[in-house]
Amino acid sequence: MSSRSNTPAFWFIAPSVIALLAIGLAPILFAVFNSLHEYNLARPAAGKPFVGLENYLTVLTDGTFWSSLGRTVTFLVTAVPIQIAIGLWAALLLHRPGLSFMRSVARVSLVIPLATTYAVVGLIGRLIFNREFGVANDMLGWVGIPVTDWLGDPTMAFVALIIMDVWQWTPFCTLILLAGLSMVPKETEEAARLETPSALRILRHVQMPFLLPGLTAILILRTADVLKEFDKIFTMTRGGPGAATELISVYIQRVGFRVFDLGLASAQAVVLLVFCIVLSRLYIRYVYKEAEL
Amino acid sequence: MRAYATALAAAAAMTVSGQALAWSLEEAAAPYEGTSIKAVFLDRPGYKAAAELVPEFEERTGIDVTWETLPYENSRERQVLNFVGGGDIDVALVDVVWIGEFAANGWLTPLSEFYDDPALADPDLALDDFFPVLLDSFGTWDGVVYGLPFDNYSGLMFYNQCMLEEAGFDGPPETWTELMTEYGPALTDADANQYAFALQSRRGETQSADSFMRVLWPFGGSLLDEDFRSNLTSEESLRGLQFRQDLMEYMPPGIVDYDHAEAVDALAQGQVAMITEWSAFYPTLADADQSTIVDCLGVTTEPEGPAGLKPALGGFSLAVNSGSSTDEQIASWLFIQWITGQEMARDFVEAGGVSGRMGVYEDEALLEAYSYIPPMVQSWEADTAVASFRPRFPEWPELSEIIALDGTRMMLGEVDVEEGAADLGDKVEEVLDDAGYYDGDKPLLK
Repeated sequence: MSSRSNTPAFWFIAPSVIALLAIGLAPILFAVFNSLHEYNLARPAAGKPFVGLENYLTVLTDGTFWSSLGRTVTFLVTAVPIQIAIGLWAALLLHRPGLSFMRSVARVSLVIPLATTYAVVGLIGRLIFNREFGVANDMLGWVGIPVTDWLGDPTMAFVALIIMDVWQWTPFCTLILLAGLSMVPKETEEAARLETPSALRILRHVQMPFLLPGLTAILILRTADVLKEFDKIFTMTRGGPGAATELISVYIQRVGFRVFDLGLASAQAVVLLVFCIVLSRLYIRYVYKEAEL
Repeated sequence: MRAYATALAAAAAMTVSGQALAWSLEEAAAPYEGTSIKAVFLDRPGYKAAAELVPEFEERTGIDVTWETLPYENSRERQVLNFVGGGDIDVALVDVVWIGEFAANGWLTPLSEFYDDPALADPDLALDDFFPVLLDSFGTWDGVVYGLPFDNYSGLMFYNQCMLEEAGFDGPPETWTELMTEYGPALTDADANQYAFALQSRRGETQSADSFMRVLWPFGGSLLDEDFRSNLTSEESLRGLQFRQDLMEYMPPGIVDYDHAEAVDALAQGQVAMITEWSAFYPTLADADQSTIVDCLGVTTEPEGPAGLKPALGGFSLAVNSGSSTDEQIASWLFIQWITGQEMARDFVEAGGVSGRMGVYEDEALLEAYSYIPPMVQSWEADTAVASFRPRFPEWPELSEIIALDGTRMMLGEVDVEEGAADLGDKVEEVLDDAGYYDGDKPLLK
């Protein structure tokens, strides 16, 4: 260990590790500590007594927590496949030979939704899906579809939220998958094109192995992102109508910063973290492993 | 004539200097010149009015006033974190429903510390000039004054007189029942996207305060009974909640997503004929840049229910953060005393604010210029106002979250009114039980 600590590599890496410990691990440990205590910020007189696993027990028996988590999973398994599908389609289009100028323009414009702040995306969504003045109803009206109550109807509000998420995050999938496609050796791809006219077969047997690492990254990052999706929902629907768009992060924020029950909110966040780690491990095990084959 | 004018000016000057010798803002503020204080403001007309007037205070006192404008929904969170973490906010903005929490936790300084000090108290402070219901509700907790009423609201009915006349009505409905049975059908034409009424009901405090509580009181119901037990399953409360459900037939679809802005816009753009909204929205509806119904705008008190006129009561006081330094606290007090003072009341109203001072509304010219004032004053009268329109105890924010969710679900028909009210009542009692109200650990203050 002492010999290793003398190597330049150790000292180059040490600052990053220390920074990660400080900004990544320390808050998690603090959250775990809080989760074992009764800790309500708005009741300072009550102190911060140790309660063991009581908060975790509350989480596990809280129907609202599980229904919010269920809603989040529904959101995840609906939005992310759509984003990957459209993203892959766009990436394949941009990967086609020629059109280099268009490709450059497209790559730049793909960054715009990604660079837009979540809260602003929510506000844009609120305007787009406004029942009276929104462009969504206006455009649907051109093809004779009657006025839809997007944000006042539980199902449609959920759909509207997914549409905004797809708008914001499909470009991310496109860019990652496009990077994967650019890794495919040109000779192999050209040879495959001579072998078969089927783009699907080329995708499956030639391009897919290069796409899987990116796909794993997309799954991990988007899962983590959906699990902590808050700003957009808060500005667009505030979790409503009813609880229709109350994803898990909105619920945790409500417990943590409305009720200020930081002990319970921390326990919820820790359970969510475990859930996220398990999902990430599953992605790596089943998707990334396939890439190694 | 000139001699008369000179004499008058001299007399006025002597009067002014006489007062100055006794107490002046400049003199009181002199030791705190250069002190910088920070307030919390909202993006509403009253705060824009205050922002217009602040330079005068800064010029007279040398105290620097800054403010942070927040959305209402984040303002409590921001302030609680500030109180707990020792932030930079000196002038706290206290919603009527936060006074119990802020005061009971010792986050606010009792104002008697300032107004009992002759060096800091304006002789014209006149606490008894505030509408009693406003000072008691917004600024007082357990008999101690912590804040002075600053942004004061009463629920009013705003209506489109032209639409009403077209439908054959001379004026607005006097009762909720009349609104539903007569005005509702006559003013609703779903095909033309026209509706009689909009009740802002978006999840959040809008649902719990503006929508849910608004239909309890006029029908004789309430959230809690005298013993702090749920009163939601009483015949009167259920009647009010069922009324709201039935009235939705005459409201725009998606009303559960209507916040204040949407309800005000719906009236301002001629989509609905009537809304019940806070008096503070009058400047928006009367502004030709934001409203298409300026010439048709009418204002009156909220409709009466079987229990009489029980209008919504809401608003904010300004208070002093007990965690600020002594100089900042005193500078904050001087600012609060000045901006809510009798002297500034007229300027405040003319700039778009709503003063809580009784004296200013005796001015006939003001009453004529602002048609919202007479019904608002009537709503604040002692025999009308519902001081406990919403409980002000520290548990309200938690209850509000529960009501906001279950109230919206009730409106959406996801849960039956009777069943929903019973379930909601159980949840409310659970919170109050945990807080210790039923063990006798806590006084039943609300």
